[in-house]
Amino acid sequence: MNYIIILIVSAVAQYFLPWWVIAPIAFAIGAWKSETALGAYAAAAGAIATLWVGYATFLNSVNEGIMVQKIGGLFTENIKFLKNLPVTPTFFTIMTIIGSQVAGLSATAGYHFRQLFK
Amino acid sequence: MKFVKFIISLLAAAGLTYALNRPLGPVPALGRLFSPFEGFWQNGESKLDLPPTNLQLEGVQDEVNVVFDDNRVPHVFAKNDHDVYFTQGYLMARDRLWQMEFYTLAASGRLAEVVGERALELDRYSRRIGMADAAKKVYENGKTNKIFDEVLNAYSAGVNTYIKQLKYKNLPVEYKIIGYQPEEWSPYKTILMMMNMRNVLNGGSDDFRMSNALSKYGMEVVKDLFPNYPSNESPIIPVGTKWNFTPVPVPAVPAQTTATLSTSESVAFDVPQHSPEIGSNNWAVSGEKSATGLPILANDPHLQLTLPSIWYQMQLCTPTMNVYGACLPGAPGVVIGFNKDVAWGVTNVGSDVMDFYQIKFKDKTKKEYWYNGAWKPTTMRIEEFVVKGRPESLKDTVFSTHHGPIVYNIASDKNFNQNVPVGHAMRWVAHEKEGTDLMAFYYLNRAKNYDDYRKALTYYVAPAQNFVFASNQNDISITPNGKLPLKWKEQGKFIMDGSNPAHDWQGWIPVDQNPTVKNPPRGFVSSANQFSADPTYPYYLGWRFAPSERAIRINERLEKMQKATVDSLRMLQNDNFNVEARRILPVLMKILNADSSENKNPAYQTLAKWNMKNDANEVGATIFERWIKELRYTVFEDEFPMTDLKAPMAYPSRNRMWDMIVKEPTAKWFDNVSTKNKQETLQDVVKHSFKASIDSLTMKHGPMNPDTWAWNKVKSTDINHLGRLPGFGRQDITNGGGAGIVNATTELNGPSWRMVVQLDKGWPKAYGLYPGGQSGNPASPFYDNMIDKWAKGELNELLFMKSKDEKSSRISGTLKISKK
Repeated sequence: MNYIIILIVSAVAQYFLPWWVIAPIAFAIGAWKSETALGAYAAAAGAIATLWVGYATFLNSVNEGIMVQKIGGLFTENIKFLKNLPVTPTFFTIMTIIGSQVAGLSATAGYHFRQLFK
Repeated sequence: MKFVKFIISLLAAAGLTYALNRPLGPVPALGRLFSPFEGFWQNGESKLDLPPTNLQLEGVQDEVNVVFDDNRVPHVFAKNDHDVYFTQGYLMARDRLWQMEFYTLAASGRLAEVVGERALELDRYSRRIGMADAAKKVYENGKTNKIFDEVLNAYSAGVNTYIKQLKYKNLPVEYKIIGYQPEEWSPYKTILMMMNMRNVLNGGSDDFRMSNALSKYGMEVVKDLFPNYPSNESPIIPVGTKWNFTPVPVPAVPAQTTATLSTSESVAFDVPQHSPEIGSNNWAVSGEKSATGLPILANDPHLQLTLPSIWYQMQLCTPTMNVYGACLPGAPGVVIGFNKDVAWGVTNVGSDVMDFYQIKFKDKTKKEYWYNGAWKPTTMRIEEFVVKGRPESLKDTVFSTHHGPIVYNIASDKNFNQNVPVGHAMRWVAHEKEGTDLMAFYYLNRAKNYDDYRKALTYYVAPAQNFVFASNQNDISITPNGKLPLKWKEQGKFIMDGSNPAHDWQGWIPVDQNPTVKNPPRGFVSSANQFSADPTYPYYLGWRFAPSERAIRINERLEKMQKATVDSLRMLQNDNFNVEARRILPVLMKILNADSSENKNPAYQTLAKWNMKNDANEVGATIFERWIKELRYTVFEDEFPMTDLKAPMAYPSRNRMWDMIVKEPTAKWFDNVSTKNKQETLQDVVKHSFKASIDSLTMKHGPMNPDTWAWNKVKSTDINHLGRLPGFGRQDITNGGGAGIVNATTELNGPSWRMVVQLDKGWPKAYGLYPGGQSGNPASPFYDNMIDKWAKGELNELLFMKSKDEKSSRISGTLKISKK
């Protein structure tokens, strides 16, 4: 349930607000409805991962993957070990880690915030 | 315990979010950059992506209709001048905003603000040569011309209307990666953009290199090796053309023509070498030579190739104008193009318009300098540099004399503080505030005939250009045009004496006395950056123009051409014949193989069989180009070191060297002065340089092989991103050409726009393309879509519409802009 709520609320919110709005949303949902710390983390991390990967996949396919290839070329020129990795999966992974960690950790913090008052 | 858990988890979450939302050193804010809702993913574009079809904008006075063709060229139909330039600004910003701003940051010496320390030296140089300062003055002076001011302001308003509605997610991706925001546009920034062109095309000097040569070898040697007119020239104005004017008196040559103080100690410039070979080709054939009976005009300006592209195609239409052509992002109007009646194009004039004066200061404060027998005050300007990644800004003091700013580099600052302080002041045409270059294009865009063309040219100042022209009244013409200083002979060939009034620039060549020719008997006009006119022209323009090979080739082909078509001119633009090889290769081969020792050498055999064309697959071109470079180095680097840090010099021209090989085979310059007890001969030098060329090619590309040694592989043309972002350019493009070739494609430079226009009594037919695409967005299919066609030497037919309602299968979208 939390997973669905975070997914929908942050999809709408990110349309109008900066990317970091996922942190307060995950925090609020984590505080409001979570049963366990791990549950809070998983729902939020999963929701943002789904949302970001889903949306980015759409944008990427519309653009036939050109943008991610260009950005890939740019980063691999500066960070050599990236050269040996396939660009598209690598950039989806980096994106997923960023989004899911911010959301997951925020939801966990929300859950612990709620515990203060129990 | 609960509290601790909360605090720890909160710090982790907040800390991570905060860290990802701010830049770390050169790394931009990663959270924002990777978020699909805001970051780089948003910059992806699809082929189907068409801009919105209706826009309501504050700032237009009436309805504007824009039609996009299949190459995403906007065709703007407006009801008045204001709206057409407003829309031009708006659309250029939409496609090229980052690039436009980048040029202005470069010209005003502010790149370090966005890219940090590594741009600081370049910024210091840009500030010292005073481009920002000059841009302000040009605008202040120009805005008294009401049309000029209105055009620039309408254009600015269009750019700003676009910028104002931009959100982070729609920013060009370069802003996201480097991490900054666009600033407001203004007419001043358009002038800065033009300053950039002045610097690229007119911003170099050989003065200090020539002074070094003079102080080492004396005037006789310099006169011999660095003559004022080459032996093989084919000038722009055909030899024998009458000068239909009474020349104004030219200032007398003073007794002393160069600076008197010792130069060797104090001159250590970072000023780039004069490079007239950043050149271009243009020509027009008259109706007598064309298949249609009316003129055909061609132009290909050569510049350093970049992505986003230097040019942007547009059609601009109002009730009083309908023009199509290549525009410069950041500037209103069409720079190279055509309308119903006329076509025009430009190439650079390599005249000497940047001179240096040695200045004697009274003391270390540099507040006064010696001039005409008295101390004269300098003016002082403090330049402040904000550098990304530095907590505090840096300051630099720039002093100016009546000549211009004092330019010197850091290394020589030390020299200034010892004994008598000596500086060098720059006199540069780019500082001229008079005139309004853009008005020349404004009037050309509306020109109907030859007289309109001549009138338009009077507005133009710098960088001086060879304006080629053709009309459907069967007139053709070419005019090396711009504000050209009235100099005594050889004035500014060497560093001059800043205290001597006779060394000042003392006036200008009257603009109607700039060299020009209309409908010459030979039936064509052309230019390839060579000398504007032969020595019968009454004024001195400079001693070094681009080498004449391109001009010789263009003129000999046009001479023979009959019933010319668009395609014959297109093929001439792609001509790869090596005129220099025709002249000197047989001579060099004979010297090389005088004792038949090279008969079996495969490199020698390849050269012997070479068709003398710099085609993409030719190995002969690879060997020849490498060889003559090596040969020139071997002959002259010992006596005229280009790379000497203390006293760099320039090599005599290639033309001079070929003359020497043929006519003075025993000249002392063939001896290598750094080998003691040994006297090298011409034959030694030729043999040695040939061997060295083959060795260095083998080292770099392996043993000789038709694939790895093919000319295009060795030359390897790259079109890099303007901001040098790796992955955003295109490398190793397959094509032929070379520096002295009509198809002047080198490692980094080349034809930045190719255009051929066939004039017509009814409606012209035009063809053109540039190596890039209309969009500045690296992820757009229109970012580099014309490169492959360009490399093959093909042209696109340009869609020149009669009205907004014209039907064409090439129309891919429309946009209606109405008043908000």
